Amino acid sequence: MMGQMRLSSLLVLSCVLFLTACGQTAPARNARLELAAEHSQSAQRAYDRGDYLVALRQYEMALQVDAAVENISGVAIDILNLARVNQMLGRQEVANAYLDKLLQDDALVYEKSYLATAATQKSLLLLQQGDENGARLWLEKASAWCVAECSLASVIDNARAAIALREKDSDQALHWADRAASASRGDSPLEYANALRYMSEARLMRGEFSTALRLADEALALDKSLGLPEKIKQDLLLLAAAYEGQGDAVQAKRFRERASRIVAR
Amino acid sequence: MKLNNYNQRLLNIEQRTKRFLLGALGAMLLVLLLIAIKQDYLVRSTAIYFFAPNAQGLNKGMAVKFIGFKVGSVKEVSMQPNATVRVRVSLDDEYVHLIGLDAKARLVKEALVGESVVEIIPGSQQVQQVTQNSVLQFERGQDASSIAESMAAQLQPILSDIRQITSSINNPNGEIQQTLKNLNQVTGDLRETVKQFTQLGVSGNQALDSVHGKLDKALDSVNANLEVMDKTIPRLVDKAEATLDNVQTATSDIKRMTADSANELPAFIHNSNALVQDSQDMLEGAKQSWPFSGWLRKPEAQVLPVDGYVPPEKP
Repeated sequence: MMGQMRLSSLLVLSCVLFLTACGQTAPARNARLELAAEHSQSAQRAYDRGDYLVALRQYEMALQVDAAVENISGVAIDILNLARVNQMLGRQEVANAYLDKLLQDDALVYEKSYLATAATQKSLLLLQQGDENGARLWLEKASAWCVAECSLASVIDNARAAIALREKDSDQALHWADRAASASRGDSPLEYANALRYMSEARLMRGEFSTALRLADEALALDKSLGLPEKIKQDLLLLAAAYEGQGDAVQAKRFRERASRIVAR
Repeated sequence: MKLNNYNQRLLNIEQRTKRFLLGALGAMLLVLLLIAIKQDYLVRSTAIYFFAPNAQGLNKGMAVKFIGFKVGSVKEVSMQPNATVRVRVSLDDEYVHLIGLDAKARLVKEALVGESVVEIIPGSQQVQQVTQNSVLQFERGQDASSIAESMAAQLQPILSDIRQITSSINNPNGEIQQTLKNLNQVTGDLRETVKQFTQLGVSGNQALDSVHGKLDKALDSVNANLEVMDKTIPRLVDKAEATLDNVQTATSDIKRMTADSANELPAFIHNSNALVQDSQDMLEGAKQSWPFSGWLRKPEAQVLPVDGYVPPEKP
């Protein structure tokens, strides 16, 4: 009898504790932070659908609001995103300026993850401009800032693979790309597809056309699922090169024709 | 009985006769009184005299006036041994003090064809007033004949001038005749000019006639179009009226509905606003509470994924 009463008391106490836990509310943000977050989210939706100009405007407004209330993490995110959007719009100089603004800011102290992201983006920009040494330097910095809970490892590895490919070092390229593929498989399809593409290029460089063909075909499937026209075009061109390497000129021509029809927007 | 009646009737006749005679006597006395008044027998007067060269226009009984009022009359006009005329005037004593010794008697006509009167022209009042048998100076005023004579004397030279002008007009070599000839010539020229203008007007009229004809045609076509419009417009107006009726009906319906709901709408809107606000508050609260806070994605700023792919350099 006493045991039953004790059990009932325990049940009641558990329910009370459970309901108390249910009643807890998340810490509320102020209206300006909500507004900045809304601008940022709106910009991200525009970016996802390829509407980069709208995304640019929205990120600019988010940056204004975040700077007004000195939301440091918000400012860092907005600057990084503005650099990314400008890069997508082909405005490399502007993108670089935004990144420098973040990397050379002495007044505000940003989290290392943001600095790592900025350094990686700068490295990729330099690589795009043909400055492999500069790219490597900023990748080292990114690697140094990318410590605990850093999701940029696969990106940094892919960037290293890209530098190796520019330097015609297929072994290094395969090494870094394989590391990136291992790190991103099941986690980041974008970077996994990038790793596959780099591996395909390295295999092509080595004359391993069938492997290159398989890797490029896998990358194409992933890029189609992600809806990335530029990547799809690159995959089709890789496939054409692989077919050409295999001596299949007809297929090579077909894939080049398919690639020429891709118009990024 | 009869005798008494007879006597009584005689008495009545006698009394009536007495009354008639007394009445006639009274009437006679009244007439005499009036004559006496008329002849100023009952008015106290002062006799004065003036002497005139002749008796023309002067008559016994003439009125004597002073500043327009009758103040007496001429009592006697008599010729004197020295071939002058003495006139005796009787003035009412009432007005004597107004007439001085230097006053004048003037024979005047009251109008162009009226009767003549003797008018006393007042003198200076400081001079002693006239008394019985005073003598005044006399003068004749201008009558119509004298005025006519004066006017005739003044018109004489004017008439002679007119006669000279008339003769000058009639002279063929005179300036007036020459001027008239020139005027005639100018008039002839003007007539020719007018003729030319008339011809111009005729040609203008012909041109206008042709234009008028064209205008007639144009107006005919306009009339035809207007007739068509006359036929069409009523139909359109009917349709427009029907449409307007429908619109009016719809408007009145809307107005009625609005009026009906006018009292309820503000409260409804207010309640709706409150309801929406409450719903928002509840939703916000639920979104921040477990387990919804985990289910619903809060707007968070996120870093865009960094793309680690760099396309190969173009050869």
